[in-house]
Amino acid sequence: MIRLSSSQRSGLVGAALLALVLVAIGLLTAYFGSRYQVRLVYSAYVNLIVVLGLQVFMGNARITNLSHSAFMGIGAYAAALCVTPENIKKISLPDAPWGLAQFSLDPVVSALIAVVITAVLALLLGMLIVRLTSIGATIVTLAILVIIHAIFLYRTDIFKGNQAFFGIPQVFNLTSVIAIAILVVIVCRLFRESRWGIQLRASADDEVGAAAMGVQIYRLRLIAWVLGAVILAVAGICYAYFLGTISARPFYFNHVFLTLAMLILGGMRTVTGAVLGTFLISFGLEGVRYLETGPVFLGIDLPEALGLSGIALGAVIVLTMALRPTGIMGNREIETLFVRQRH
Amino acid sequence: MLTIQDLHVFHGPIEAVHGISLEVEQGKCISLLGPNGAGKTSTISAITGIARSTGLVRFEGRDLSRDSVEARIAAGIAVSPEGRRIFSNLTVLENLTLGAALQKDAAEKAKDTDHWFSLFPILAERRDQSAGTLSGGEQQMLAIARALMARPKILLLDEPSLGLAPKIVRQIFDLIADLKTRGMTILLVEQNATQALKLADYAYLMSSGRIVAHGTADDLGKSDKLMAELTGVA
Amino acid sequence: MEYIVQQVLNALSFGAEYALLALGLAIVFSIMGLVNFAHGEIIAVGGYTMVAFASLAIGNPMIVMVGAVLAAMLASLTLERVAFRPVRKADPTTGLLTAFGVSIVLQNLFLLFVSPRPIAVTSLYFLDWSIEIAGIRLASLQVFETLTTIIVIIALMLFLRRTVLGLAVRAASLDFEMVRLTGIRANRVFAIAFLISGLLAGLACIFIMARRGSVDPHLGFEPVLKAFVACVVGGFGSLPGAVLGGFLLGAVEVAMLVMLPQSLGGMTDAFVFMIVAMILIWRPDGILSPAVEKGDKL
Ligand SMILES: Nc1ncnc2c1ncn2[C@@H]1O[C@H](COP(=O)(O)OP(=O)(O)OP(=O)(O)O)[C@@H](O)[C@H]1O
Ligand SMILES: [Mg+2]
Repeated sequence: MIRLSSSQRSGLVGAALLALVLVAIGLLTAYFGSRYQVRLVYSAYVNLIVVLGLQVFMGNARITNLSHSAFMGIGAYAAALCVTPENIKKISLPDAPWGLAQFSLDPVVSALIAVVITAVLALLLGMLIVRLTSIGATIVTLAILVIIHAIFLYRTDIFKGNQAFFGIPQVFNLTSVIAIAILVVIVCRLFRESRWGIQLRASADDEVGAAAMGVQIYRLRLIAWVLGAVILAVAGICYAYFLGTISARPFYFNHVFLTLAMLILGGMRTVTGAVLGTFLISFGLEGVRYLETGPVFLGIDLPEALGLSGIALGAVIVLTMALRPTGIMGNREIETLFVRQRH
Repeated sequence: MLTIQDLHVFHGPIEAVHGISLEVEQGKCISLLGPNGAGKTSTISAITGIARSTGLVRFEGRDLSRDSVEARIAAGIAVSPEGRRIFSNLTVLENLTLGAALQKDAAEKAKDTDHWFSLFPILAERRDQSAGTLSGGEQQMLAIARALMARPKILLLDEPSLGLAPKIVRQIFDLIADLKTRGMTILLVEQNATQALKLADYAYLMSSGRIVAHGTADDLGKSDKLMAELTGVA
Repeated sequence: MEYIVQQVLNALSFGAEYALLALGLAIVFSIMGLVNFAHGEIIAVGGYTMVAFASLAIGNPMIVMVGAVLAAMLASLTLERVAFRPVRKADPTTGLLTAFGVSIVLQNLFLLFVSPRPIAVTSLYFLDWSIEIAGIRLASLQVFETLTTIIVIIALMLFLRRTVLGLAVRAASLDFEMVRLTGIRANRVFAIAFLISGLLAGLACIFIMARRGSVDPHLGFEPVLKAFVACVVGGFGSLPGAVLGGFLLGAVEVAMLVMLPQSLGGMTDAFVFMIVAMILIWRPDGILSPAVEKGDKL
């Protein structure tokens, strides 16, 4: 039996409150939503898991990560390669090396393998990243994003590049992704309130003190980095197991800054901020996307406006940074809104 | 020349100085004394506009309290700040050149450089050396020379003797005395009260953000309050 | 022999481009700790300015080039005023994310108001022809690029050493507040840093456009990513480090292009970054880290 500290107990209370919200949104969608809306909400939940994976590292170590979508992609492709039936792979990946087209596994084993592969890769890359200055680390994560994307595009014999990798069994539905999202929320809150999480955040607030901590700080960052990557792999698996097809494009830039904007708007320092930002932007963006298609509005035929959603997301980031750099939630988690703080 | 009235100084939400008033007359050397954390540096920062403050800062009859840092410097205030803050990645000469940043006339600037180099021969010797390689005393001289390059009307000196060997301290105080005889108006912040009072025409004693005593150097030197504040013995 | 000289020039011209961009990033970073992710969009502004000249039927190459550089400088200065001033005193992460947001906004503005597709610009093709020096055939564009960069670096060095504003920029990288205490207006120091940064981006833009012949919203992304990596390798914020990192990256890239088999052509960058990663394992703060300089402020 693991003994929980008082901050971890209040973290569990907060996670339970967030779980209520997640279940409520899910129930509303399941009962009243159209098929399109269910898809929309599903992808919001996948993005929520991504943003949570991002929060674990960015929120605690306070180093901006720009490679998260690539790790999501690794998880998605790894699971897809394992789980897709042989007969489909023989058609879609006729030139696959190393006998990749000659086997298929059940979804749970595939997911586990995908998570392990992503974690090992993250560990190797992380050992470099955690030692760099915060800015150097960010730029290296950007380079990682570009390289992994290049590999997805280049090895068409394995990943099919920008073409659809199809035939993935659709084993997940809205209920499964909500259950997983709730689990991830709990993990993130427990990590944030754990001794590791608290030390990591303290060191991020005080760089001189952090330097004095030396190797210890690298280890803590590495733990957060790998945990984040595991969560990102889970998000990728959820994505692949619902849609049934994947391609390289959704794991690149547009997705990076979409999810980054979500985390920044809500506030990267808290798990509640991650949840809030994800839903605010997921739903807000639908309105912008509608304008983008050039609808007839109040009798006026608006022109098609490609790029509007990008401008909106960029503006969200810039304005949040200018007006409230810690995001909407700042340092507050959901339970502090209900319970008066003891001083 | 410089008049301060009801000055409150803030560092973020913290109020470090709680409404002080003081006066520096033309050609005089005024000393601001006090123990660690009394608010001396905060007062200097408020005069230069680096720290946020309320109250009046009047210089040569003009209210500066709403002016930017740059405007106050342009008005004729120069500072040798606490910790010296020389530009250690620049050479000695480059430091002096920057000190005279507002001097447009190159010939005048060269004349000033030569003048201060003649007064600080040790700096002249090291003119093309990186300022970071100077000793503490040399760095302090450079900080003062840099401030003087601006041809200021008033010179603010924040603890010029801090962390220096007694022999160097004496040199620095000799230098300040020399500047005074040349007619420079000086506001001298010091913890080294004995030395400062030897020089100063008038002195203020600060403690916990307030002025607790002031008077001519002789009067203040004899007061028990000074000893009590500076040594912590009541 | 010819092949070797050609490849060396190749490496120099690659390196020159990265060095120009990396210097522009480093000079801004050194004074305000801002990682300017929007640098690539400044290059794109230059590119679209060329498009604008073409659509006005102005083909005079001098006007096109000077115009593009001026537009890049103006864009850089505008960004400082509009976007980066509010975060001037903020921590590096806030600045970095702001710049990232600005970059996204600008890219999508190009997408929305110009076109998501590449637009051809032919007015600079004249820069590229084959010249023969001492019996060796070389691409004139690469010679120009290398020479321009060398001249620019020397000019920048003179500016930083000989002028008061240049000294102020160097001093500001150490202690900005003290620079203000010498009476130099902070806004002027920021303005000059962004103007230089824009100038360097504009020059790089000319060479990029002469080589590619077209502009799209992502024109600047790849070269600026390389420039960032060059900065990290050289030591972020160090100007000599930026130049060193730029030329080093150019050399590594050409070496990879020469050594890797044709079948791995698409993976050159991956290999380049892998070598960079090894350098960073050796020196996590970069080769010429300015951290050492900053330390003696205490
Ligand atoms: N940047 C700052 N942020 C917060 N508090 C500050 C800051 N600078 C000074 N203070 C506080 O203001 C008070 C006065 O400090 P100040 O530096 O003015 O004292 P001082 O008289 O110059 O002391 P010393 O002789 O040690 O230099 C102190 O309590 C100090 O902690
Ligand atoms: Mg002080």
